[in-house]
Amino acid sequence: MNKNKRIVITGLGTLNAVANNVQEFTRALREGVCGIKPIDLFDTKEFRSKNGGQIKNFIAHDYIPNDFSLKRMSRADQLSFAATLEALDDAGLYPLSNSLKEEMGIAIGGGSGGLWEAENFYSNLLKKGASCAHFSKLSSVYCASSADKIASGLRLTGPKTTFMTACSAGATAIGYARDLIVNGHASVMLAGGVEPMCRITYAAFNALKSVDPDVCRPFDKNREGLSLGEAAAIMVLEPLDAAVNRGAKIYGEILGYGVTCDSFHMTAPDEQASGAVRSMQAALKDSGLSIDNVDYINAHGTATPVNDIMETKAIKEVFGKRAYLIPVSSTKSMHAHTLGAAGALEAIVSLLALKNGFIPPTINYSQRDSQCDLDYVTGGSREAQLHTVLSNSFAFGGNNTTVIFGKYAGRDTEND
Amino acid sequence: MTNKSQQPATKKVVVTGLGMVTPLGVGKEEFGRKLFAGECAIDTIKSFDTNAFTSHLGAEVANFSPRDFISVKNLRRMDKISLMTTASARLALEDAEIKINSANRDRVGIILGTSFGATDVTVQFADTLLTQGPSFVNPILVPNTVMNAPAGHASIELGFRGVNTTVTHYAVSAETAIGYAVEEIRRGTADFILTGGVDILSKFYYEALTKFHALSPGDQEQEKCRPFDDARNGFVVGEGCGIICLESMDSAVARSREPYCEISGFGLGASPTKPTCWPKETVGIKKTISRALKKAEIGIDDMQVICAAANGSKVLDATEAEAYREIFGSSKAKPAITSLKGALGESFSGGGIRSCALALSMKKNVLPPTVGLSNPIRSLNFIMDRKKDINITNAMLAGISFGGTYAYLVFTNCDK
Repeated sequence: MNKNKRIVITGLGTLNAVANNVQEFTRALREGVCGIKPIDLFDTKEFRSKNGGQIKNFIAHDYIPNDFSLKRMSRADQLSFAATLEALDDAGLYPLSNSLKEEMGIAIGGGSGGLWEAENFYSNLLKKGASCAHFSKLSSVYCASSADKIASGLRLTGPKTTFMTACSAGATAIGYARDLIVNGHASVMLAGGVEPMCRITYAAFNALKSVDPDVCRPFDKNREGLSLGEAAAIMVLEPLDAAVNRGAKIYGEILGYGVTCDSFHMTAPDEQASGAVRSMQAALKDSGLSIDNVDYINAHGTATPVNDIMETKAIKEVFGKRAYLIPVSSTKSMHAHTLGAAGALEAIVSLLALKNGFIPPTINYSQRDSQCDLDYVTGGSREAQLHTVLSNSFAFGGNNTTVIFGKYAGRDTEND
Repeated sequence: MTNKSQQPATKKVVVTGLGMVTPLGVGKEEFGRKLFAGECAIDTIKSFDTNAFTSHLGAEVANFSPRDFISVKNLRRMDKISLMTTASARLALEDAEIKINSANRDRVGIILGTSFGATDVTVQFADTLLTQGPSFVNPILVPNTVMNAPAGHASIELGFRGVNTTVTHYAVSAETAIGYAVEEIRRGTADFILTGGVDILSKFYYEALTKFHALSPGDQEQEKCRPFDDARNGFVVGEGCGIICLESMDSAVARSREPYCEISGFGLGASPTKPTCWPKETVGIKKTISRALKKAEIGIDDMQVICAAANGSKVLDATEAEAYREIFGSSKAKPAITSLKGALGESFSGGGIRSCALALSMKKNVLPPTVGLSNPIRSLNFIMDRKKDINITNAMLAGISFGGTYAYLVFTNCDK
């Protein structure tokens, strides 16, 4: 193991509520576009909320060539496959060489998987009985299906893993993928997350009353909860020297990550913020950075009353007085909370901010909350040369993950 | 940029605690006694009615009293899968003689594998949503529907706050989780990590498996689990949780704990395979084993034991046996092969329970028999009929999943 092996991101792919590719996403983040609108995927009449961050105009055949069978692919499978192809193409690795297929693996943060398709199946089962229900529809119900479809479709033979830590899964998958390369289990990794819009998930968050009936307003005094969204977010990870040798475009470097647990409550965040504090500190330690190095925080910022106070408190505890000098934004105000994909989608936001030199805003913000008193970038995006971005993801079950990304400025690799 | 938190790869990771809730018993004494006696836990399913199904057998956890292990306060919030997980985690900590306190709680974590999570609770929630509508769903159920709930509950009950992650990838969930935990101990992110796997039987899940024609059918033929046997006709499903406690050898020595064994390496891999189908080609198994051996820095001649993945499926068992014939056909080593699934059933994340079993074998130098095997499909060195005394230096735990995913762990005796 080369303990100082540096891992960089050379390709990105995403579909989400504000963009169907990375180029559109960069523009939307800069302009502060809101993708939270009425949902038309299912009837929302009986729900507290009618809005969500739904992906628009997704026709799988427009994204996935005919060489790949769409048969038995759930919406989650299709979205993640499309994002994977974009990321590989962006990295200049597609079509894949045979040697690359041998050494490439995939780690995905999952969520509802094929639950949307399964709901139709289950509905039939309840109405008509087991003999009439097509159990084959369940073949893609589990979230591990997406990594299977991608790996089999692209004929990858490296590691294949799916993370299920709810809203921190996508972030953990990225940290894990970095370590698989560092420890010599793979040469190149696809990492990211996928979360489809799904009525069962929508019903669950509505039942918990954790959704805002309108649009989510992170850090705003009148925030009432989160907005649910869907997304696929995939990135290509490879060692810095390999990327430099092949002249690849480099979005940034994974400097470190930290994973902790609240050990407090299954759904409520620990108001003492201990888990969030420790996950940021663990990521800083892993990256060998001090608090002075961080110049933008992409917050978890779900816009639930408790999370935003807890996260603000955690940032202040970790960064001290410097907390007030660091821009903190929640891009969930634009693309909504994409659960299992959130950590990966917000990793892409962080990398686009680093690469393109801007800080994406928190939108839908109008009134200051005295307990949320940091710089939330509420007046639109800002141009800024960033060097280090920290991204938080906190989840049900008390799972916290923080990932830190750094700009790659063409520094030589001699001192590795 | 140096990375101070990472340790050299030579750091030995050892198993110092075992905890399990299994169809063969709760806790290592009862489990070990029945396992090595060649007892079979497979019987007619008692927890739900199987009359309408084509199969009727299963390996169910019986005589498990959660109150012996879990406080009443937390017990009320837990479902079956979280109860089994939390009890197993407590047993593993006790076996390792680790007491969680404010000084060590941030350095103790859990990395758990589950293939299907709380299928019982998810179906209950979906059932209400579909039959009665969104206004009737029970919010209390929601926290337990996420796959990371068992690890979350365990952390709350036992009070540890370090790394906390849940991995899912069908039948290699537990093996993959254990591999991740090994690297995390090496990386120094935690001093102790509880790792393994859990899956539970539920009526819906059982019915779905019968519809996939995966289970040994009881209507025309004799229903039975027969790993590697000529007459095998499908697997019998099981349930349960197995958790091992990992720490560094240095830590074990400092605490004067004698480890069960070392986990000296692991390999991960994939091969293009149809969804829900077991792999028919041996290439994925062979590639993954060679990766695992390379990581453990040993050759195939150094391997004395394989704890196989075979579960009585026509395709899986044939592919696995053929792979071992190809690998060991021309080598000096003729490793002893045993499959525990004839006794415990296939519980997909049973890699946790099987790891506990293999750790006991390493300690006692005895291998349990392959229950249900009488006419082997190939002339390999299968352990049949009864347990076998054998000096074990190195053993492999095989993880093979439908969909073409592989994870092999190498266990090495610490004394040799």
